[in-house]
Amino acid sequence: MSYVEIDEPGKRVLLMGNEAIARGALEAGVDFCSGYPGNPASEVLEALARAAKKFNFYVEWSVNEIVALETAGAASFAGLRALTAMKNLGADVCADFLMTVNLSGTRGGFVLVTGDDPSAHSTTSELDTRNYARFADIPLLEPATTQEAKDMTTWAFDLSQELGVICMVRTVTRLSHSRGVVTLGPIKREKRSAEFSSGDMWTSGSSTIECMFHSVLHEKLKRAQEKFEESKFNWYVGKEDANLIIITSGTGWSYSLEAVKLLGLGNDVGILKLGTTWPLPEKLVANHLKHAGEVLFVEETDPFLEQNVKILAAELAAEGVGPIKFYGKKSNHIRGEFGAGTGELNVDIVIRALTEIKKVTYPLREKEYSEKAQELLSSYVPARSMGFCAGCPHRASFWAIKKAAIWDGREATVTGDIGCYSLGMLPTGFSVSKTLHCMGAGIGTANGFGNLKEFGLDKPVIAIAGDSTFYHACMPALVNARWNGSNILFIVLDNNTTAMTGHQPHPGTGINAMGDPSPKILIEDICKAVGAEVRVCDPFDLDEAVQNLYEMLQNEGVKVMIFRHECPLAFPKEKKAKVYVDQDKCLGEECGCVRFCTRVFECPGNIWDYEKSKAKIDEVICNGCGLCAKLCPAQAIIVEEAA
Amino acid sequence: MTLEKNLLNIIITGVGGQGNVVASQIFASAAVRDGFCVSVGETYGAAQRGGAVMSHVRLSGETQYGPLIPEGMAHIIIGFEPVECLRTVGSFGNEKTKVIVNPRPVYPIDVLSGALKYPEVEEVLKAIKELVYSVQVVEATELAKKAGDPVMQNVVMVGCLAGSGFTTVKVETLREVIKETFAKRRPETNLKAFDLGLREIRKIKPL
Amino acid sequence: MSQVVKGPRDLQENVLAKGLCAACGACTNLCPYIDMVKGKAVFIESCGLSEGKCYDFCPRSYIDVPSLDKSIFGSYRKDLAIGSNTSIMKARAKDKEIRSVAQYGGAVSALMIYALETGEIDAAVLAKSSNRISAKPTIAKNKKEVLECAGSKYIVCPTVEEVSEAIRQGIGKIGVVGTPCQVTAVRKMHASDFEIGADKVNLLIGLFCTWAVSPDAYNYVKDLVGPANVIKLDVPPPPAKIFVIQTDAKKIEVSLDEVRKFILPSCNVCFDMTNEFADISVGTVEGQEDWNTVIVRTNKGEKLLQNAIGAGIIETKPLEKERLDHLCEASLTRKRRVLTQTEAEKMAYLTIREEDKLKIIS
Repeated sequence: MSYVEIDEPGKRVLLMGNEAIARGALEAGVDFCSGYPGNPASEVLEALARAAKKFNFYVEWSVNEIVALETAGAASFAGLRALTAMKNLGADVCADFLMTVNLSGTRGGFVLVTGDDPSAHSTTSELDTRNYARFADIPLLEPATTQEAKDMTTWAFDLSQELGVICMVRTVTRLSHSRGVVTLGPIKREKRSAEFSSGDMWTSGSSTIECMFHSVLHEKLKRAQEKFEESKFNWYVGKEDANLIIITSGTGWSYSLEAVKLLGLGNDVGILKLGTTWPLPEKLVANHLKHAGEVLFVEETDPFLEQNVKILAAELAAEGVGPIKFYGKKSNHIRGEFGAGTGELNVDIVIRALTEIKKVTYPLREKEYSEKAQELLSSYVPARSMGFCAGCPHRASFWAIKKAAIWDGREATVTGDIGCYSLGMLPTGFSVSKTLHCMGAGIGTANGFGNLKEFGLDKPVIAIAGDSTFYHACMPALVNARWNGSNILFIVLDNNTTAMTGHQPHPGTGINAMGDPSPKILIEDICKAVGAEVRVCDPFDLDEAVQNLYEMLQNEGVKVMIFRHECPLAFPKEKKAKVYVDQDKCLGEECGCVRFCTRVFECPGNIWDYEKSKAKIDEVICNGCGLCAKLCPAQAIIVEEAA
Repeated sequence: MTLEKNLLNIIITGVGGQGNVVASQIFASAAVRDGFCVSVGETYGAAQRGGAVMSHVRLSGETQYGPLIPEGMAHIIIGFEPVECLRTVGSFGNEKTKVIVNPRPVYPIDVLSGALKYPEVEEVLKAIKELVYSVQVVEATELAKKAGDPVMQNVVMVGCLAGSGFTTVKVETLREVIKETFAKRRPETNLKAFDLGLREIRKIKPL
Repeated sequence: MSQVVKGPRDLQENVLAKGLCAACGACTNLCPYIDMVKGKAVFIESCGLSEGKCYDFCPRSYIDVPSLDKSIFGSYRKDLAIGSNTSIMKARAKDKEIRSVAQYGGAVSALMIYALETGEIDAAVLAKSSNRISAKPTIAKNKKEVLECAGSKYIVCPTVEEVSEAIRQGIGKIGVVGTPCQVTAVRKMHASDFEIGADKVNLLIGLFCTWAVSPDAYNYVKDLVGPANVIKLDVPPPPAKIFVIQTDAKKIEVSLDEVRKFILPSCNVCFDMTNEFADISVGTVEGQEDWNTVIVRTNKGEKLLQNAIGAGIIETKPLEKERLDHLCEASLTRKRRVLTQTEAEKMAYLTIREEDKLKIIS
């Protein structure tokens, strides 16, 4: 049983940041949870889904983030406690509702959890969602430790309930996906009933009413600010009236603390750690600006605190606060590999900033050692690119698309989208797709490319999307293509799961977040209803797949090909087939093959036997799918199905 | 540069799909049960698709440290793959670091496609040795095969860490956590893998 | 035996990029890097080799006529019009069943069936058309399967793809019926330093050929016939200048010029009308639809034909001198045209003896 669910208040357990957030919601008595899978936030809802039946509350994966926020919003209007979790880019998707539900206000405690991804480890933008809190005029909390992730989430519900406004808890990858020790609190289960009486009205208003509600929202923020001044989530450590202070939030806290310790500056420097970062607890911050001559901002990713504190400092100048030297992103002291304001933080970055400010040196390792390490790294450590897993149907799909496009011969434009198949831009996907933005942008931009004939761009257009992506974002663009006469071939890669984010279900899988059966909404039915030419094919039947794609490329209008084959990680076989190479038959580097499996197809299960100059199968990585055996020009790869 | 007292920095490094998240989770959970303060920092998501992955596991007496180990501050590096081990040693190792490494290569597709060369494993191990205090080479995949499934090399390596004497996390606690973690997925085979690693490491002389 | 060998890049630059692909199928079933698409070989991916079978087997990369003459016939040709030959005659199948499905005299089908039934070959690689318009290569192993392949095909069929397949299947003795470019490709396979087991092809029956059309012609014909089924396509002898489509409903005649629009550019550089490298070459007898013109070229061809005659499979008649002269003149006219009127760049692939060239032109 997961630690998230155990009813032992006071127990110390190891929790992932996301699990701690889920636990915090449980301890707040959450009733209704929604979200869409997205790195680094996916596990919040997964942990809640696992606990839902035991504790009698509701969890759903929604089709996308705005629907998720809206459904949870309704629960809040009805007086229930609601939580919606999403990745940073999800905030973009639900912004429309966020920017109106802030005005309409809410009833039951309503918490929005956003997971940012500094350095974009698993996403296409490291955008900083704290800006949304300021934009939407809503309270913002930033946990710095796994314990805070739990405690802040619990408190956020009370705060939201008291003020009648949605509250935001913002986490980052290094908190969401790290594990730390958490002391559990009691799990609260209140019996709440949902209500919507005839007198209820939930609106953001318009014209005068909107302005009025806008003013009400500002009042709520002021009240939040008063509470923030006393919050236990803000603290100051180090030298009492330090001249150099660090103002930090989130993961910046532990990095700053460790950097200060390593540099021996514990008695010299003060650290003001803020957990409530919008609105700023201005009195608290002002107290420390009064004694500071130098301020270093340590935060991920945008200079959010930096700019807001500078504004405060400017306002306080008239009262004699300052002048203060500010260090952070603007001054280029806190910088990643590619510059300030990009990339994630770590202890080394803070150490470097402090040594530059203090004008001291601190070699993390001996210079000689670092140089030797660099040299050995460049000689003996090849890069390791990402690639599709062994047995992944996307590899087959992209090979089919590549072939069909070459057969067609008109240099088709191929647009890509978000999912495992985003890797279609890399050699693992034969560099087939050429664009990557956000959910649904593949078919969205294809709409445009497919309508530029009168401007001279008359190439075939292919858009690619995954199954989960299809439900999330592609349907409007599909309708648009048909309505506006765009000539496109839309290929949906249906592996029956939301794979990249951890194999969550979606409307086509027949299962919901709580593991219960649900109606299967078939992609082909929707596409046929739109009036597209629809075909369904297994990409592993490569010849058929190529032939069908080629034919469709010769037709006009909106065409949809659904490449359907299950993800082998989501649906592992009981016993996998044994695959091996008959090296006597293998042509290897000879004309007729020239290492087709390793050099071109690049499945990680196909490796090269350097001693014998023949192909080999890595039995640990090989998934037993047998696709390479179909493609081997010498038919040298043997597949023995499991008994 | 001095390493912090009362703090043990361990990095488990390998290729996405080798199970280093599970390995670090097992070790960290056991450490918590034994009363340590523990932080674990992981790489998730896209990097798992065959990319290089690391877990930073930090054990302390009292303080909850941040999830990322600073440059050059790893006490122990457990390498599931030789090149990844060297890659991690290069950034996080120092002359006092102790290394346990599985020498079985997992070829990057950049190498298999012919674009890059994979170095001789002997050279890689030698390079690691130049940068650290000790290197113990364990054929963990072979041991995992003996236990019943080569994919359990990660559990073998947890056994190696347990038996290495580098940490004071108890063997009994680890076995308990392994039993719970794999309660529905071949617990006996996993325990066997753990035990094989535990015994084997004691026989292996550092390079 | 073979020239300086080049590879896929040269194939792309010298043949494919110039639009000279004959769609013979010699290169498209050797490896995963080349596919046959609508009558053209297309590279899917670069294999990176500088030397390859694809270039060496291609009948448009290079044809060294004197070299091939020597390796096949033992000496240079004496007959500059129609190539080395040992006997020329009219011939046809005695079996009326064969003649009923054949285009003309049925000699090709009869010889192939005889070769199969006597064990001279184990299988025959032929072009098969189920719709009577376009064809796919196939491997036939008995009379029934051979007869399913009877009849002329005007849309190009990459027969040599199935030669590669038959060799891979381990068939010990393979017979092939092909157009001049296809037969040349197989002869280059024989002569090549790249060993793929092409020596298993031990019988080559060549068809006379003036041109083939691209697969685009399929839609043209289909649009003309509508829902009806095609029974037979034919080009009657000059001066008719028409193309005949016989369906189960009616007979359609169109101007030959309409069909000529679909001729492969590769045919315009072809030097070989009478299939000069086959064991036996077979064509029409103008005005005598029930007979074939047969040119025997090798000892193997002689033996097969004589045995077939002796076994009552084939009957023959002498070929009238006017007909032979007419045939030689037609062949020479073609050679003259490609040697003098076609751009030198496109003819660079062809090597013939200088003295022969001068004789042909004059």
